[in-house]
Amino acid sequence: MPDKNVLVIGGGVAGLSAAIDLARLGVGVELVEKADALGGHARQFSCKATEKCVRCGACVVEEKLRDALEHSNISVSLNSEIQKLTKSGGRFSAELQKKDGESRTSETDAIILATGFRAFDPENKKPYGYKLFDNVITNLELERMLREKSIVSRPSDQQMPKKIAFVQCVGSRDSKLGNLWCSKICCGSALRMARLIKMRQAETEITFFHIDVQTFGRDFQTFYEAAQNEVRMVRAIPGDVFKTDDDGLKVSCFDNSAQENVDEIFDLLVLSVGITPGRDTKNLSALLNLKTTDTGFFEASQEGIFTAGAALGPMSIAEAVASAGYAACEALNYLDIQKNWELG
Amino acid sequence: MLSGKTLILGSGPYARDMAASLLDRGDKVMIATEDDTFDLPSEAEQAEIFTGTKLTSCRGSVGDFAFTLSGNGEKIYGTAASLVIAEEAGRKANFSHYGLSRSDRIISLSDLVKLLAGEETFSHVRKIVFLTGLKIESNPIVLEEIMEASLRLQSDFKVQTYVLTKNLKVAGNGLEALYRRTREAGTVYIKFTDTMPEIRQEEDGSLILLFTDEIMREKLSLRPDMTVVDERVLPSEYMGELAEILGLDTDEKGFPQSDNVHRIPVFTNRKGILVAGESGNMLSPVNLPADVGNVALRLRAEKADDSLDKADIGPGCARCLSCYRVCPYRAIRIIRNKPEIMPPACEGCGLCAAICPACVIMLAGLAHKEVSEEIPASVPQKGENFIPHIVAFCCSRSAARAEELAAEAGYTFPRGLKIVEVPCAGSISHDHIFSAFRNNADGVLMLTCHEGNCHSEYGNIYAKNRAEQIGDFFSEAGFETERLLVKTLASNMAKEFADTVSCFEKQISELGPSRLGK
Repeated sequence: MPDKNVLVIGGGVAGLSAAIDLARLGVGVELVEKADALGGHARQFSCKATEKCVRCGACVVEEKLRDALEHSNISVSLNSEIQKLTKSGGRFSAELQKKDGESRTSETDAIILATGFRAFDPENKKPYGYKLFDNVITNLELERMLREKSIVSRPSDQQMPKKIAFVQCVGSRDSKLGNLWCSKICCGSALRMARLIKMRQAETEITFFHIDVQTFGRDFQTFYEAAQNEVRMVRAIPGDVFKTDDDGLKVSCFDNSAQENVDEIFDLLVLSVGITPGRDTKNLSALLNLKTTDTGFFEASQEGIFTAGAALGPMSIAEAVASAGYAACEALNYLDIQKNWELG
Repeated sequence: MLSGKTLILGSGPYARDMAASLLDRGDKVMIATEDDTFDLPSEAEQAEIFTGTKLTSCRGSVGDFAFTLSGNGEKIYGTAASLVIAEEAGRKANFSHYGLSRSDRIISLSDLVKLLAGEETFSHVRKIVFLTGLKIESNPIVLEEIMEASLRLQSDFKVQTYVLTKNLKVAGNGLEALYRRTREAGTVYIKFTDTMPEIRQEEDGSLILLFTDEIMREKLSLRPDMTVVDERVLPSEYMGELAEILGLDTDEKGFPQSDNVHRIPVFTNRKGILVAGESGNMLSPVNLPADVGNVALRLRAEKADDSLDKADIGPGCARCLSCYRVCPYRAIRIIRNKPEIMPPACEGCGLCAAICPACVIMLAGLAHKEVSEEIPASVPQKGENFIPHIVAFCCSRSAARAEELAAEAGYTFPRGLKIVEVPCAGSISHDHIFSAFRNNADGVLMLTCHEGNCHSEYGNIYAKNRAEQIGDFFSEAGFETERLLVKTLASNMAKEFADTVSCFEKQISELGPSRLGK
């Protein structure tokens, strides 16, 4: 029986990773997830290896999930949310409620907050016609499609698209929205998927609309040079999108070299949506008495509560694992101090 | 807690914080650095410090490393339970990329950072141009330094700054906001997409930049008083030496941590040897305490229960040392001309067992006999009702997991499919493959991780090479080479697993029963 317990809120890659790190060092972990499955956003991602692994990290989540489920020090509560938190005598008492209304109290020595992010809702960018047009999807939906079906098809007719356009920075680096941050992972996700599609559906023409291409991966220079041969890079962000009669998408954008607006028709439009603070951030920040930064994400840690993963801000799977390790280390140091204090 | 000492290699902020963090917890710490003047604050007096020394040899394994430090004509011998490489990375200024040579007016980013930290007043400097990411792509570490410098130049020294770049690397924490602040302070950003600036260095060392503004399509020129050239972050020479001495796999730049997701965040191919900070080739400014915290955590976990199957060298070793050479984790040492497994370092991958020509290395579950027994023996069928026996050797980290996911997702597999889970595709020996065929397999699949994703680094490459060798042998013997297939799969590729096995079954059905069986 572990003599110390930690409550981990959120079962995505950061929560899973922190739970494993703690469990392996003999700490009892209660992992609370509000959805009906563990794995979070990252578990929906596709492996993007072409001839070689491209280090997207999607497989890491699978391994973490298995390790967490196998570890006897970890107990998992799905469909559960924290309703109330009180602290007395150095311990926390958390009221957890299941979706079916059942509620119970969990006693814990420390908390790891790993509630992740909320993908930007592109309905807030009306000109792109997300939800209005079948063939406008998000990069997360494309990740899921590639994971489930291996190939990409148009939602409207299940045909393979001949022309795909990725639109970057939807909801990121956007002063009108007040989202003054780069979401860090979208260039890597989009370009890796683009190359995967080129390998599996070689006839597809892919255009990449962007502001700047961000560096990802240690071999970025090599990757980017190869990507430029396979993907048409356009430094512009499209203005309006219209639907054509056969469910194509007419995209208009300003062509710098021609100094005029040009229209082009695509079969599928992929919006790379930004990473924004989690849906429950305000709630949780009041509930846990936790501060948020000026971007709206959580601050790193406060007395006994340690934040990990994308709840802190945009980060890759690799960074989320590192962030979880750090939170786990901090939590352990905190528990050690408490233990010493108890022992006098 | 880990008993025994930790040897930290390095003298920069990572090494210092690492030492402080471990000492805080009551760990025993040694620090070895080339720096002759290195010292720690007095509260850290418990640490043993070896200044002016370099690591010149290291034997043993996690929990029991025996190392030699050399310097100032002396040698120091010691032991450590674990090693942490916390060396600082090198910088190389990209002068040659822009056809420039260093002068008073053309300096590197590091030069500028030093000037800003010193007494320089920039009194005769009105314009400074930064050149970054124009020939090769830059990164957020460099951009952050450029933006911090230009902010100070603009606000403290009233210098007009220009940043000439292709892609602005703002994928770091707070960099987009910092970018906006520099613009408000007056920094001008000029981005190039399909054109490049012409850079001319005059005889007097001054510089002229001629370019077309891509938005306005206007020809412009700049004559900066000072030009700052960006830099590449590279491994130091010593990092390369350490990788060699310690037998560490490196990434494509030479950092002592291979570019493999299994090494996230601070691991190397060797248990008990960790990398911190710049030694791990960071791409964006990492949170220093986070990295230190991760190393501290992993050191604590090192002693945690280790229930892995370990390889064991039985009697009959021919001392060919193939196992010693193949071990990706450097878990085999040579004692009196004989290889010996160091169990704490062994990860149970089975590469040694597969390569041993005498077949005397054992690993639970990998014995040839056991593998053969898993294949259902049956009389080969003929004609319309032929159901091919397919043996799929699946790496336990990837394909075997994909198979589970595929089964959960409701995919149906060929009726004659037999899964043989192996710790690593590199553990599939020639004998395993032949024994599958001998036991009536009509087709054999070797399902490995993708290149660059193998936990044992090259296990999948060995698997591929073995399949090629056997394929050559088959084709010389007049046997169908299509009966043996190597495929790469990731653990989350359920659909692809189902597709691979059903496609292979179809192919084998067309070929008919194998003639290799009994």
